[in-house]
Amino acid sequence: MKNMKNNLRIIVLLVTLIAIIVPSGCGKKDTEMTKVSYRLKWLFNTSVAGDIYADVHGFFAKEGLEVEVKEGGPELDAIKELEMGHAQFGVASADQVIRAVSKGAPIVVLAQLFQINPLQWIYRSDENKINKIEDIKGKTIGITFGGNDEAIMKALILKNGIREEEVSFFSVRYDYTPFYERRVAFWPVYRNAEGVIIGDKLEKAKEPVSFFDPNNYGIHFVANSVITTENMIKQHPETVKKFVTALTEAWNEALNPANLDKTVETIHRFDKDTQLDTIRRQLEITRQLMKPSEKTVFGTIDVNAWKQTERIMLEQKLISAPVNIEKRLWK
Amino acid sequence: MFHKRLSQFIIVYLLGLAFLFFIKAVLNLSDYVIPSPVEIYDTGLKVFLRYIPDVLNTLSVAIIGHVLSIVMATIVGIISRLSNWMGSFIKTAAFNIQAYPIVAVAPIIFILLGDGLSSRLLIAAMICYFPLLLSFIGILSEPVTDIEHFYVYSGKMRWQLEVKIRAFENMNKLVTVVSGSATLAMVGTIVAEFIGASKGIGYSIRIALYQSDLSKILIALFLIGIFTSLYLAFLEWLGNMLVRNWRAKA
Repeated sequence: MKNMKNNLRIIVLLVTLIAIIVPSGCGKKDTEMTKVSYRLKWLFNTSVAGDIYADVHGFFAKEGLEVEVKEGGPELDAIKELEMGHAQFGVASADQVIRAVSKGAPIVVLAQLFQINPLQWIYRSDENKINKIEDIKGKTIGITFGGNDEAIMKALILKNGIREEEVSFFSVRYDYTPFYERRVAFWPVYRNAEGVIIGDKLEKAKEPVSFFDPNNYGIHFVANSVITTENMIKQHPETVKKFVTALTEAWNEALNPANLDKTVETIHRFDKDTQLDTIRRQLEITRQLMKPSEKTVFGTIDVNAWKQTERIMLEQKLISAPVNIEKRLWK
Repeated sequence: MFHKRLSQFIIVYLLGLAFLFFIKAVLNLSDYVIPSPVEIYDTGLKVFLRYIPDVLNTLSVAIIGHVLSIVMATIVGIISRLSNWMGSFIKTAAFNIQAYPIVAVAPIIFILLGDGLSSRLLIAAMICYFPLLLSFIGILSEPVTDIEHFYVYSGKMRWQLEVKIRAFENMNKLVTVVSGSATLAMVGTIVAEFIGASKGIGYSIRIALYQSDLSKILIALFLIGIFTSLYLAFLEWLGNMLVRNWRAKA
């Protein structure tokens, strides 16, 4: 009887202890935070400044989100990860999104990161004078066969009445030697990333460079956007709103010239191989591409540009039928 | 033998496809992640014939790379059995070079040699050469005491005879190693094309990957499997012929 009483006391004591510890312990915060995963398109660099800024400076946490920001890479596809449930949010290029939608992927575009596509062509400005589009006739132009730069360049020449036979295409890979050796006059680069680095190298060698931007000739092929799934929007609309709010605020802060040093330092923490000065210049160009004017609201979805992107892909038979992409753009 | 190899490959391929369709159905995935059977069939109709020359191109480079590797491994294997120091040095070097991932070395090769045949050939040879070499060194350094001691004691042993005895006694092992390394040569060539070349089925897979088109990749894998199986079956047939002829002569 005495033993039973003792056992009862111990059980009551344990239950009381658990009751005290559990609600007031570290678990509380965890249960309130919503965990999500965010797959980027590329490695940590200036192009993902706002994404890492949101993570490091607590923008996600402020919205009650615990976000695992995952680096992208050439073989990683955020859309597939979303469908498989490995991530809830991701970044994908417009051509990836349109292709996926054409194959029934339940994807929705939440925000458009770049208002101007950073994919441009670097060229030596003293050897190639480009005042009008016809000036590219007879030039050797690098393109990645199967990549979106092929779609953009072919759309550009078609739109401007240039025949494919009037230019020479060169199959581009990671190695820039053909451009350095002048075998190729125009080489595709991301203006805000390797564009700065290669431009610097050539400038040092006293070779002035310029960038050929298809946007100036009427091709508004959309670049990277933030995406999620239809299910996510239906089942967790609040999480989606909070995620977009946090991300937009973070990007606005990161791109604000007043926060330049803070943003550069944040990027450098993740991208140690790039010098601070290079990151600084990359960031300035990124700002021009994401917020071309003061009035531009970060993340604005340019519906007409999306429609043009779809049209280009349809014309080039990259998709077999229209997908009405405007229906997949989040409002 | 050819028929058996092909049917075995087709069974494995169909099992793989069935597994993919099972995952697609269970997880309710779109055609973007895993294409439907109809899409794979349609894609097959469009690209099958176009991919055949690409696979043949890859296979021809792989075969040349494979033959070069066999010749080099044989020569170096014979040399390295001459002294313990040389054998151990070559072994260590082979292990070390083998440890470097080819994706890290390939860009340097492409920068130096360009994106043509020589780069693909070198990478294919590199991938299948070192495993071959290590096996050859192992086989040719291992004395066949029962037979060799007679020639040693009678003073008739020469290095050519030693190599012959060891090769003859281990012919089955050698044939297995050579045919096994054929797949490595094929893999090496495809990796090279995938990374930097502008020809071959590896290059076509790269483009399909840019377009997120898994159905094209599946067709390419089917063709790679068919032609690799044929090559392996041919090597096995050749090996068996060789063993039979040697045994008959002996």
